[in-house]
Amino acid sequence: MPPSRDDAAVFTRIFDQHRHAVHAYFLGRVADPELARDLVQETFLRAWRRLPEIAPLPEERQRAWIFTVARNLAIDSYRASAARKAAEEALRHHATTRETTVAGPHVHAELGERLAQLDAAIRRLPEDQRVILSMATAGGLTSREIGEALGEPAGTVRYRLSQARKQLAATLDLEDQP
Amino acid sequence: MTTPARHDLDELLAAWAHARRLPDADAERIRQAIVPAVPGLPATWWSEFNSKISTVITRATATPAPALAALGA
Repeated sequence: MPPSRDDAAVFTRIFDQHRHAVHAYFLGRVADPELARDLVQETFLRAWRRLPEIAPLPEERQRAWIFTVARNLAIDSYRASAARKAAEEALRHHATTRETTVAGPHVHAELGERLAQLDAAIRRLPEDQRVILSMATAGGLTSREIGEALGEPAGTVRYRLSQARKQLAATLDLEDQP
Repeated sequence: MTTPARHDLDELLAAWAHARRLPDADAERIRQAIVPAVPGLPATWWSEFNSKISTVITRATATPAPALAALGA
């Protein structure tokens, strides 16, 4: 049966609700922004195909469903490229070469430099901390929501987030005011 | 040598998040790649409908040729 306008509207609502969080998750997991986008697309393609199943769910259960798919895709992606170490290496390399793209042309030069330093420092964080930090900042999720998405207690999320912030503050010689 | 201004961690993280967030245009491309075109009325439906209505009204209100001929006579 072809999709209806209602299906498309329901999917768009789900997509808009979760796309930033899913993208932030993949940003934390993979080195390549293009790959992160591809994985976002694959995640939501699977959501589209199972729309009748997930549409009636409450938002937090939709999020849990979507992140189960996202986690599996991230694992598949690692396996496919045999690349955890290579990804980490790419992250470090990428951090040293994307200074201008992080800052953008309109950002003050000094802020751009600090952003590049921050980007490099984030990429050197342990993966579990990097993912949570990305989901909290770029994804705009609370610790509780991140915990639900990743199947972790909210307290563990808060602890890892705190550790990540401390590490970043120390690396960049910044005041951390959580 | 100038002293570099210090940026609060939250401020820097907010700027980082803004720079790394999926742009709306990219998100829309992803959405369009997933959701197939939904069947519906073609884009020209309304103008074609108007055109047909106009034709029907014109024909219905036109004076028949025999009547015109009779008037001429």
